[in-house]
Amino acid sequence: MKKFTEFKNIATDPYTYCRKYKEETGKKIVGYTCSYTPEEIIYAAGALPFRLFGTNEGIHRADMHLQSYCCSLVRGILEEGLSGRLDFLDGAVFPHTCDSIQRLSDIWRLNVTPQFHIDLVLPVKLNTTSARQYLIDILEKFKKDLEHALGVKITDSTLSDAIKTYNQIRALMMRLYTLRAQRPEILSGQDFHSIIKAAMIMDRQLFLKTLGEIVAQVEKAPVSKIKPGTKKIVLTGGICSHPDIYDIIENAGGIVVWDDLCTGSRYFEGVLDEKAPPLEAIAQRYLDRDICPAKHAGLTDRGESIIQMVRKHQADGVVFMLLKFCDPHAFDYPYIKEMLDRENIPCMLLDMEEQIPSGGQLQTRFETFIQIL
Amino acid sequence: MKKQISEILKIIGIFLFGKFKKFTLRFKKSKSMKDIMMIYYSEAKSARLTRKKVAWITSGGPVEPLIAMDVIPIYPENHGAMIGASKMGGGLCETAENMGYSSDLCSYARADIACATVNGGPIGGLPKPDMLVCCNNICGTVLKWYEIQARYFNVPLFVLDTPFCHTGYSNEVARYVRSQINEYISFIERACGRKFDYDRVKKVGHLSFQGQQLWQAVLDTAAHKPAPMSAFDAFYHLALIVTLRGTPEVIDYYTALLAKMKDRIARGIGAVPNEKYRLLWDNIPIWHRTRWLYDKFASHNACLVADTYTSAWCGTMKYIDESNFIDSIAEAYTRIYLNIGVDEMAKMVIAMIDKYDVDGFVLHSNRSCKPYSFGQMDIQRIVEKERGIPCLMIEADMVDERSFSESQISTRIDAFMEIIKERKKHSPANAGAKG
Amino acid sequence: MRTAGIDIGSITAKAAIFDNGKIIATKVIFTGYNAELAGQRVYEEVLIEAGLAKVDIDRIISTGYGRKAVAFADKSFTEIMAHAAGAHFLNPRIRSIIDIGGQDSKAILLDDKGKVKNFVMNDKCAAGTGRFLEVMARALEVNLDEFGAISQKSAAPSKISSLCTVFAESEVISLIARGEKRQDIIAGIHESIASRVSSMLARIGVQKPAMITGGVALNSGVVLALSKKLGMEIEVSPYAQVNGAIGAAILATFL
Repeated sequence: MKKFTEFKNIATDPYTYCRKYKEETGKKIVGYTCSYTPEEIIYAAGALPFRLFGTNEGIHRADMHLQSYCCSLVRGILEEGLSGRLDFLDGAVFPHTCDSIQRLSDIWRLNVTPQFHIDLVLPVKLNTTSARQYLIDILEKFKKDLEHALGVKITDSTLSDAIKTYNQIRALMMRLYTLRAQRPEILSGQDFHSIIKAAMIMDRQLFLKTLGEIVAQVEKAPVSKIKPGTKKIVLTGGICSHPDIYDIIENAGGIVVWDDLCTGSRYFEGVLDEKAPPLEAIAQRYLDRDICPAKHAGLTDRGESIIQMVRKHQADGVVFMLLKFCDPHAFDYPYIKEMLDRENIPCMLLDMEEQIPSGGQLQTRFETFIQIL
Repeated sequence: MKKQISEILKIIGIFLFGKFKKFTLRFKKSKSMKDIMMIYYSEAKSARLTRKKVAWITSGGPVEPLIAMDVIPIYPENHGAMIGASKMGGGLCETAENMGYSSDLCSYARADIACATVNGGPIGGLPKPDMLVCCNNICGTVLKWYEIQARYFNVPLFVLDTPFCHTGYSNEVARYVRSQINEYISFIERACGRKFDYDRVKKVGHLSFQGQQLWQAVLDTAAHKPAPMSAFDAFYHLALIVTLRGTPEVIDYYTALLAKMKDRIARGIGAVPNEKYRLLWDNIPIWHRTRWLYDKFASHNACLVADTYTSAWCGTMKYIDESNFIDSIAEAYTRIYLNIGVDEMAKMVIAMIDKYDVDGFVLHSNRSCKPYSFGQMDIQRIVEKERGIPCLMIEADMVDERSFSESQISTRIDAFMEIIKERKKHSPANAGAKG
Repeated sequence: MRTAGIDIGSITAKAAIFDNGKIIATKVIFTGYNAELAGQRVYEEVLIEAGLAKVDIDRIISTGYGRKAVAFADKSFTEIMAHAAGAHFLNPRIRSIIDIGGQDSKAILLDDKGKVKNFVMNDKCAAGTGRFLEVMARALEVNLDEFGAISQKSAAPSKISSLCTVFAESEVISLIARGEKRQDIIAGIHESIASRVSSMLARIGVQKPAMITGGVALNSGVVLALSKKLGMEIEVSPYAQVNGAIGAAILATFL
């Protein structure tokens, strides 16, 4: 499908897309690092929100600023910033996530110029009234900072429009998730991954339009019979920027039916209340959404949510894709594993780097895991 | 009951005396540190019997409200330092790894999580908490660590969320943290089953402030040449301002310590007998190698006269308003050294370089502490650019002795000292100087 | 039925022939840089060993890192499945397999039917693999084959605490300089590798009885140290190096 080629190109070479986009539309591009970024506000300001992933190149420049015990996502983002390959960015937004991102923001601010730099220090707590109030306050501050940086005014009406667009995108993406689990053949793993990545890069209106067409097509396709013996997998973790993961899993006899990834369902989950004041609606979605391990709400929320996910989609097992040196995820792993063990849900832990290791190690692990399910 | 207490005292006494004997030899009357800590830990361990509540609190957390309500504060990080000093870190970290915790996680957390399940460590484990207080001003790791302990011990957890101050302290942050202080007080009230003592906290606040002033004065004495104490002494004496801040014991101890230092200054006694070179230390100490490091640098006639770690416990006094203690602790606990931008940290480092007139900067690149270690390379470059002094980075871990390569670090220190010696030899300031 | 199993590892390629419930031939060669050629060669050589021709073999299964390169195999399985099948055949009571190879180490839990229940792999870090021992053997200038025998003489193993192979090598050199006895250093090295491996095992919980396979299983010192660390007897597979190939051949009988 032509649409897939377009998405694939954007996903494999986002920078070319961005440069072309700037040339053609004259709009600004704002980079961001985290799913808690209120893209609606950036979009309402007339700029393109652009997710920063790590790097596909080797890491050299970042070594001058960050030690080796820093995760490859953060080192990769810094590498891209320092290399000049991101000079099409007009600015960058750093929401508070974890200790590493926190320091990345400082180091970026001191070394990557001349774009504007906005820190958005969101609350870590997402379960109290004062945290909710602070979240709304800080979104208000962000709106003003962004207006100042871009030299625009963000009105309630542009925000409402932005919210509507994002609600539509998210609803369609969640629909696609469900459809794909039933019709894996209609959408290859690579294509699926390209769509997800394109969602965080492409002109959102164009993306919405094309996505709508794809979903309509997929809806029409007959529910394909999943090969007998295929095991249903739930993925859990942070970022997944490996386009090959879905293919590897499928070649090993599995299929991903759901995930709680930061660049997956957590990014698309949730609907904003279009009747509420815009910033409050944005804040509420973050409070209601499945939580990132770098945030704090209930003590066993994530574990319970993963179990529910497994039950709802009748999954056979869970695969933890944890980025090496990612502390929040690594701290959560033992208790979630314990909960899964109690429910007799098999699971496997994968220590990942931003780059897929050579030598078929991933294939071996997935094949074996799926065999024993 | 008597037997239990005496057993506990014996364990603590043996540990403290053994580990800190080498330091106490230099200061004859320092047995009071041992006494104070012994009483402190034994009181905490027998809290069940004396009907007192025990709270586990992070090293950067506001302890004054707890003290005002007679809750005994325990610091797992201080315990972590003791574990490191006893060289038990590697073993406990391994236990945590066997429980499924990645070996890349903070070694304080790993050691403590393991310790709780096996009652390990040098004093047979920490007393069980009745409540947990976690302030994330120092890092995000403590949040995860305390969530784990909250699940394990099944006790209430209070999180004080102090948003990171990259470039300043905003009104939004001030409002948020201030509301949380109220929530914190309600939390303590619920845990203790009685109303918060606002009068008492004023007194505790006053003592806390005084303690911090005294600690600053003690650290200031190292500006003298030769420094009467080194950073390694500061690492040892730090324990009280961390664990007993707000109590009168701290005032007495530091007053005596300050007098001792002034006496040594008067008699020209230095921590390093033949101090020729003065250095600044950055990051949490390598707890399992403090003696080795002191000796290594002393063998080069070098004294680590100051550090960025111990000064953190008197670094935010300027934000405290004694007459309005409860209000001002919001800002004081938010704007600590680890909760500010790298450039602001670099400014403070430069100020210390000037104040203590140091010849070199030693940075401990600590695997376990990302907020402290990430940004060090930039700080190093800023220091080299602004002050032109040699800098040395040592890669290790504060508690896990398995991540220490002695021969490599030894070589690096030797090479660093060679550079410092050469520079000092040829420096114009050296003409006719005593160095 | 006659089946063959071919295990292509990164250093060595192994083959085994299984005939009516019996292992009749095994072969080990170096893989070299061409996995496909190594697969062909080791198969041909094991046939010669068994006095058979290709036409005598009913089914072939490939396993190991280079399993996909064996084009003539009927199917491929991961080495975890293969090791499980091999160990279960040798001793159906085995519930845990510890495999320490040249480049990686793994642990496998089996159920009572010999099926894999759980597994854990270390393929990123040299510590806990044969590579660790090679590095140390060079530092000590001792033949790796003699490690087991020499360490038996030790009454007080040296303590080597570094997590990282490079650090540990540095530590060993310091011990040599300090004049520590060779047997004590080697015993310490064995304890170090046992420690790494048991940490990995703890992630899935080792169950008795346990069997050790892989090249390092031939080192009696490591087996002893591991046994002590785990507090249990460990059976050493008589076919330690070729267990994967045997398992693959056995898996072929189920096809």
